[in-house]
Amino acid sequence: MTDLTALNRRGFLKSSALASGGLLLTIALPACSSMTHKGPVMDEQWQASAWLRIDTDNRVTFVLDRVEMGQGTYTGLVTLLCEELETDPANVQVEFAGVDSFYNNPLYKLQVTGGSTSVSTSFERIRLAGASAREMLKAAASQGLGVPVGQLRCDNGFVIPPSGQPIAYGQLVRVAATHKIPSDIVLKKPEQFRYIGKFDRRLDAHVKVTGQAQYGIDVELPGMLYAVISRAPAYGGTIKSVNSAAAQQAPGVVDVFPMEAAGRHGVAVVARSYWQARKAQQLLVIEWALPKSAPSDADVMAAYAQDLASKSGSRLRNDGHFSRARRQSSTVLEAEYRLPYLAHATLEPQVCVVNANQHGMEVWAPTQAPSLARIAAAKHSGYRVDDIIVHTTWIGGGFGRRLMQDFVAECAFIADRLQQPIKLIYSREEDTRHDFYRPASLHQLTATVHDDGHIHGWQHRLAHPKVMHWFVPDAAAAQFSFMPKFLFPALTAAGKLGEGILAPNDSSGYEGADDLPYAFEHIQVDFVHSEPGVPVGYWRAVGHSHNGFVTESFMDELAYQQQQDPLQFRRQLLQQHPRALAVLNKAAEMAHWGTPLAGCAQGVAVHKSFGTWVAQIADVSVDGGRIQVKRIVCAVDCGLVVNPDTVKAQMEGGMIFGLTAALFGKITLKNGAVEQSNFHDYPLLRLPETPELSVAIIASAEASSGVGEPGVPPVAAAVANAVFAASGQRLRELPLQLV
Amino acid sequence: MIRLTVNGVEHTLDIEGDTPLLWVVRDVLGLKGSKFGCGAGLCGACTMHLNGQPFRTCITPVAAVAGQAITTIEGIAPANNLSAVQKAWLDLNVPQCGYCQSGQIMSATALLATNPSPSNQDIDNAMSGNLCRCGTYPRIRSAIHRAAELRRTAEFYELTEVRHD
Ligand code: FES
Ligand code: FES
Repeated sequence: MTDLTALNRRGFLKSSALASGGLLLTIALPACSSMTHKGPVMDEQWQASAWLRIDTDNRVTFVLDRVEMGQGTYTGLVTLLCEELETDPANVQVEFAGVDSFYNNPLYKLQVTGGSTSVSTSFERIRLAGASAREMLKAAASQGLGVPVGQLRCDNGFVIPPSGQPIAYGQLVRVAATHKIPSDIVLKKPEQFRYIGKFDRRLDAHVKVTGQAQYGIDVELPGMLYAVISRAPAYGGTIKSVNSAAAQQAPGVVDVFPMEAAGRHGVAVVARSYWQARKAQQLLVIEWALPKSAPSDADVMAAYAQDLASKSGSRLRNDGHFSRARRQSSTVLEAEYRLPYLAHATLEPQVCVVNANQHGMEVWAPTQAPSLARIAAAKHSGYRVDDIIVHTTWIGGGFGRRLMQDFVAECAFIADRLQQPIKLIYSREEDTRHDFYRPASLHQLTATVHDDGHIHGWQHRLAHPKVMHWFVPDAAAAQFSFMPKFLFPALTAAGKLGEGILAPNDSSGYEGADDLPYAFEHIQVDFVHSEPGVPVGYWRAVGHSHNGFVTESFMDELAYQQQQDPLQFRRQLLQQHPRALAVLNKAAEMAHWGTPLAGCAQGVAVHKSFGTWVAQIADVSVDGGRIQVKRIVCAVDCGLVVNPDTVKAQMEGGMIFGLTAALFGKITLKNGAVEQSNFHDYPLLRLPETPELSVAIIASAEASSGVGEPGVPPVAAAVANAVFAASGQRLRELPLQLV
Repeated sequence: MIRLTVNGVEHTLDIEGDTPLLWVVRDVLGLKGSKFGCGAGLCGACTMHLNGQPFRTCITPVAAVAGQAITTIEGIAPANNLSAVQKAWLDLNVPQCGYCQSGQIMSATALLATNPSPSNQDIDNAMSGNLCRCGTYPRIRSAIHRAAELRRTAEFYELTEVRHD
């Protein structure tokens, strides 16, 4: 628990009076990032990222520099605020904050929404902001009424005196704004909660069922032109020759030109309408030059295997003496697991709107990282960081794709050249082929059996690229956005070199592997960095998305080797993890473990990610060579729950996302070019294929942890383990395919 | 010149006839509720109604529907009012990112208009063309049952469309 007084003393809250007479509290929220900062602490500079505004007409507005992409942050943060402010969440207006020079204080952290951290990192700060405002309003009422503060309470937007009329907050804000922020705030105790753990109305549902929510693709500016880009099919490819004569002549076309942005070369077509731009694009005749390294899938796996064989890698975990255990074991189990590249396939394709003129540049983007968007725009235009404003919009799915800012870079480049408002839209084909993919990976697992028969050693060696190398060009500069632009490349280099010192550790490959929870005496986990040159990025659950499958499948293999029930085998080895046991037991109860649905077999998996434990049990049939998932039950412990229904929705969504990967997900490459293009060859799970899903939440008073991602990692393993139980086939590669 | 009737309003447009209806409705008429997801009839994000039937507007040239009655998400309930389907969607907190939901609601609305008490199988058939990357399918299924119930038990604005059959 954070020390609230200390937090307050460090000045994360500032209050001011508004010209209109209202009260404004500015709140510094910690940066949200899946990366842990293990270097020197460079914190505590003032960085406002949320405002609470109460107007004289009782209007409560919460301006938030955190994005909503479906994960429920919007509802969650408002719930926290209202719990302490004592007002109905349904009456709070939420606005999205942009990034502009208002924030231009030295920032050493990034404004990023990711890593399932929005609620956990904001839990106390937002409540403290709400509570501070509440106390200031009470102090104002006390002053006016001559009643001691201790005799006042707040309820539903009013201060209630012991006798007489309740006073609306709006009537008090003028005076409240003259009060100092109290330093001795006491937050409500869990038994006093009225909204936390109870409030279950999704506040953004209305705009989304009426078609009113404005996504990035819906932004419209006067005189706006539409841009599309034909990009080199392989990352790093360049243009050998281009004939754009026909495209230039096509109706509505304004400009056609070669360009390079965010490492991608292409030819842009700008026209008066989207369709005109698309039709003209068809007329381009481009010959591409392949990059030096343009791998196909087989090359990637071969390179991984080669690196695993020849490099020792970094040893991330070394309990006991695995090598000795292995030498002394007469029985050793070995298995190799492979996972493919995956696209994000957000339903709203990548899109950006930029206006550039003599006054500056404005960007509208569905981005998970507005501060990085600003850097990307600056790097690809003639504008200084300070002259760029970034507005965020509703986001049609993020899943990590929109942590990368390539679409902003491209659109900024085009708008800068034309000095006109531009909307850039990726087609589905372009979105699928120019993603930053969930990396493919190769895993070698070895277990050793003691002479007495029990398993005592576990080794996991994996080959995987470093996602941060692809992320860092914008991220490093965003951390130092006050530096002149010409230093950005140097900062990028520093970001790579300084990993673990200046930049956070890149755990994207091994998270979920190095923290194996099972009580084996000897555990060794090695990460071998292998870099095939395919663009990669953060993808929902990041490293856990592959390590959850690998570790929980291999655990299942070990259970069978031991002739033990897979659930019981896990339980014995998790005695030190009561929260893991609780989710396992709950899932077993929900699934009637041992009594599968008719025609099905069951598989179990449990995994912790982003602080949250999740156990899932799948009931699967394999009739006629087809894997059919009939039901998945899920038990989750994410600490104290803010909105129970959001947790359930995120688990459901996570399971479906994970099922798509388990059953269909595969991006393949040929000479560096992605072969898939649209939903016919990169399918997503559909409604009729969706199994029955049920979710149970374990009651907990532990600190809140993430829910956006942790539903994903166990799914593929639970299904694969059920497939084994049903068919005897151990599938060690995704997507699952019966032989 | 192409004549179009969208949500009961007639428009006469000077536009290339091969432009997909989706872009005409979004960018020329300014109705942005219908979304672009795939451009190939594979995801359902662009679903509107043509004479009461759901159809994919990203692959429908505007010339092909000239003179016909088209309904979009903006036209299924009067301003400040919700249809039974929309109300059910709220009751069950269906949307996550929300991007697919206009299309989902248009498909569900068309289903209920012809089949007031759909079975799970009917729902599977009617909704299989609408993708949701966020995985709201279980709630969509429940919400369709709920909407069917709302239509039986409460007064809701019901979409009536001109049929030329
Ligand atoms: S955008 Fe029309 S079906 Fe996908
Ligand atoms: S709610 Fe996000 S795609 Fe359906």
